[in-house]
Amino acid sequence: MQPYNESTENDNELADFTDRLLSGKSAPSVSTSDEELLSLQKTVLRLHQAFPPEPLEDAKVKQMLVRLKSRMKREEQTAQPCFWRRFFDIQSNPQMALLVAAAAVVVLVIVSLPALQQPAGSSVSGAAFSKTSLFTVAGLAVVLFVIYWFSRRK
Amino acid sequence: MQTTSTSLQDASDEILIQKYKNGAKEAFDVLYHRHLLKVYKRVKYVVPESDVEDVTQEIFMAALKSIPSFRGDSKFGTWLRTLTNHKVAEFYRRRSRKQEPRLAPLSEAAGYVTGGSSQTMEEHLFLQRLLQELPENYREIILLRFAEDLQFNEIADLMNQNLEATKSLYRRAITALRAHLEK
Repeated sequence: MQPYNESTENDNELADFTDRLLSGKSAPSVSTSDEELLSLQKTVLRLHQAFPPEPLEDAKVKQMLVRLKSRMKREEQTAQPCFWRRFFDIQSNPQMALLVAAAAVVVLVIVSLPALQQPAGSSVSGAAFSKTSLFTVAGLAVVLFVIYWFSRRK
Repeated sequence: MQTTSTSLQDASDEILIQKYKNGAKEAFDVLYHRHLLKVYKRVKYVVPESDVEDVTQEIFMAALKSIPSFRGDSKFGTWLRTLTNHKVAEFYRRRSRKQEPRLAPLSEAAGYVTGGSSQTMEEHLFLQRLLQELPENYREIILLRFAEDLQFNEIADLMNQNLEATKSLYRRAITALRAHLEK
């Protein structure tokens, strides 16, 4: 075990040597009477030479950022399916699917109710009304089909 | 627009993170440019050349994903350094699962440092391996000084140590590295 003072001196000398080496201003000479310190300085020098400072070019930095962002975007898209797909995904959202089915039945009942309740003898207005109801039902069916088709497309 | 960009450039990491959380996506670009070189150089010291870019990307991807949950208990730089170490460890875990050698064979170093001789490449890989074999606190102080170019007083602050203890730890780290070199 080295005496405290000598050890501290070596700590400081090795640190100073490293500072001078990494500052790049002037290559410090590896010379000291202390063999232990000399050998440590050589190790530091060897480490520095094995990893020469290599600045990152601006173009490379930009390219890496672009790659990062496009990857992030890709992952976000993969992670988040489109709204309608999620909306119609019965497995992950069974409550919503049931709600939509129930709403469709209610709408159908409301639309067809006046046609079922029309009084006898009003055949002209009744025919016109049932025609309107038919269009409404058909329209509703088309809207549901279009939504379903969009959800399948993505 | 110019003013916004300038104000972002001048903002601290913590403010940038807050801005990013509030939807200013460009705040991340500033953080990226500010920290890329340090992360890249740190990775370069411990990961084979052919994987440096990929591992760096992984680190920033993880940072992007985790920033929303970043609470600021530590400085962003410290948090990113921990994330870097974690990702490097993950890289080696994945490698060992694939039963590949812990560090790249020499052939993988192709393309490393334009104009570098094969002897230089070999030395680079050899020292990389030795750094990986050092105890964590020794490796860390060497990386902080060499890869991140932090001064000893900055390292001391970071490690909550006094300057003397930091320099002593550094000398012990270099002594351990020398011992590995002599094996």
